[in-house]
Amino acid sequence: MATIASTKTRSSTNRPLSIWLAILVGFLLVGFYAMAQVLIKGLQVTNLSDRVPWGLWITQDLSSIALGAGAFTFSAAVYLFRVKRLEPLARAAVFIGFLGYTSAMLALAMDIGRPDRFWHPLVFWNVHSVLWEITWCVILYSSVLVMEVLPLLFESRFFDQWPWLRNFGHRIHRLTPVLALLGMALSLLHQSSLGATYGVLSGRAIWFKPSLPVMFIISAVAGGMSLTLLATILTSKLRQRPLIPESTKREVARLVGYILLAYIYIKLWDWAATSYYSHAPGTASALEILQATTPYTTTFWWIEIIMGGIIPAVVLLYQPFRRSDRALVAGLGLIVLGVVVNRWNVTLSGLVAPPNWSPGILGNVVAASYSPTLIEITVALGILAYGLLGFTLGARYLPLYAHESPHLSTGN
Amino acid sequence: MADKRFSKKGKNKTTILGRRDVLKIAGATAGAAVVTQVVTKGPLSAEAIQGIGAQTHPHQGSTEHEWHMVIDLSKCIGCYYCVRACQAVNNVANDDMRWNIVFPEQTENGTDFFMNRPCQHCQDAPCVRVCPVGATWVRPDGIVAMDYKRCIGCRYCEVACPYDVRRFNWKMPESENRFVPKWGESEVDLRPRGVVEKCTFCVQRIDRAIELGLTPGVNRGVSPACVEICPVNARVFGDIHDQNSPVSKYMQEHPTFRLREDWGTEPKVHYVRPEKENV
Repeated sequence: MATIASTKTRSSTNRPLSIWLAILVGFLLVGFYAMAQVLIKGLQVTNLSDRVPWGLWITQDLSSIALGAGAFTFSAAVYLFRVKRLEPLARAAVFIGFLGYTSAMLALAMDIGRPDRFWHPLVFWNVHSVLWEITWCVILYSSVLVMEVLPLLFESRFFDQWPWLRNFGHRIHRLTPVLALLGMALSLLHQSSLGATYGVLSGRAIWFKPSLPVMFIISAVAGGMSLTLLATILTSKLRQRPLIPESTKREVARLVGYILLAYIYIKLWDWAATSYYSHAPGTASALEILQATTPYTTTFWWIEIIMGGIIPAVVLLYQPFRRSDRALVAGLGLIVLGVVVNRWNVTLSGLVAPPNWSPGILGNVVAASYSPTLIEITVALGILAYGLLGFTLGARYLPLYAHESPHLSTGN
Repeated sequence: MADKRFSKKGKNKTTILGRRDVLKIAGATAGAAVVTQVVTKGPLSAEAIQGIGAQTHPHQGSTEHEWHMVIDLSKCIGCYYCVRACQAVNNVANDDMRWNIVFPEQTENGTDFFMNRPCQHCQDAPCVRVCPVGATWVRPDGIVAMDYKRCIGCRYCEVACPYDVRRFNWKMPESENRFVPKWGESEVDLRPRGVVEKCTFCVQRIDRAIELGLTPGVNRGVSPACVEICPVNARVFGDIHDQNSPVSKYMQEHPTFRLREDWGTEPKVHYVRPEKENV
């Protein structure tokens, strides 16, 4: 702690920041301990089972990737489509995306049974598997994110002693438009494929629908943009100085509001078409099980739809609310929460209400259940702490916002 | 400063992409084209996917045979012998890892029966489709096989399988097996922690039968353990291509159905209804 606070800071010791960093490092260390337990003892330390093989970590993996979607959205908007008004947020978005994707990889490394074989999808191909495509896209896109973040990293004062590195960073930075294009293509593929992971499973009635990939990408774009703006507003409050123009803030908020409206509209029709107006036996029985024995119906309507969708849409689109930073923070925070709860609900609802294959009437009426163990939660908090620590240090030592570095403009 | 030179260069560029960038994109596109060719025409074609694992596994079976099973639910008495024999022969010491399960059930008319469920060995298997590393595949003889050396333990196959047949090694498998030797000898190695496993129709026996010129489903010692041990002959096994195989004959004599045909998975396990139909 002391080293971070004392090296190369103009300000003297910043007490609240030190305490915050100490808390995060604490969570990180406990998280490392839990991760070691997972690697030593295997996945028996989780509450996952053969009926519910995916749980908290997959939710974290899906959420981190979705909330990292701000990176490709802002990169494409600024460096490809040249929407200059959004440029003040682009670098922060890329940095958050980098943290999101690395968090996702950490969660996945914990979740797979054989982390030593993580490279297998690269060598042994099954082009029919959505997950194979996702693995490739995520690995390639993470490389793109590294290339986008490196120039930013080399810009920090720490690298003053190695000008050639900074020079190298600038060379990479010239590739930005190409990287933005690649990043957009890869993200448009895998962000929606993550929904298709569930959407293509014909044996699972409440998942099997073409709307899942579409809803995943739209919610990812809304969530990713929200997190970028939320982190920026909070940083600017804590550092007590404006980091982006007010107009950019309001414009992004309004844009997110409209994307959210589109999402709610698609969601409405998804619900209407798959359950309200139709009565497909598989879907109906799965939804009945969910309603009767689990909280998923309640959390869907209250947290996903009302708290994560309708309320923030009103906040972001009604001007008097949008003008208030406090309302904005609340609205954006609710969207982020909504995305996380959505990923949890999608994953768990399909697993907890299993398909009925027995020819009898007793066999499959029982819903499976799952709640994470302390170790699962500790690992997840450790990974979250990594992300928060990364952003805190980045916001303090890297030129995440335009006015802090004159060097790294897009060049025209 | 280097920074200045950089920004000047940037200024001179009026287009988004420079010549070098275009070359790079062209290179990447060419690379992608090569990859696509390899994927569609080369060793990783759709046909080859079916045969994934051919190099690592000496026995792949042949298209000459296709192995099917009939389970007569009207005959099963719920003795659980098949469950135990499976656990012994396939080295499954742990009860929650059972590949072959039996449980009490009831028909809509209130008739009690015992439901049996091994792997359904779907011809269009959802688990095979989703595996990101091709660690599971449909052999030419129809058996859905697993490569434990390739599996990364992501458990997508468990999520995809609608019949709940797949089992993940949450912990190191127990080598102490209380079903051995009473219910049979272990014929296969223990699987490592962190991989998925499932019923194989006792593939080691089938491969041995072909090698020795014997007939699975007919000769003893080369049929699935659950079929051989059943005291009431509720399970029948054999080659569906052979008109005289036990399985073909049984299906000619009895009306059968498969679990959830509406999913289009084309299972190779057929069932006879627990209640005799009044025809």
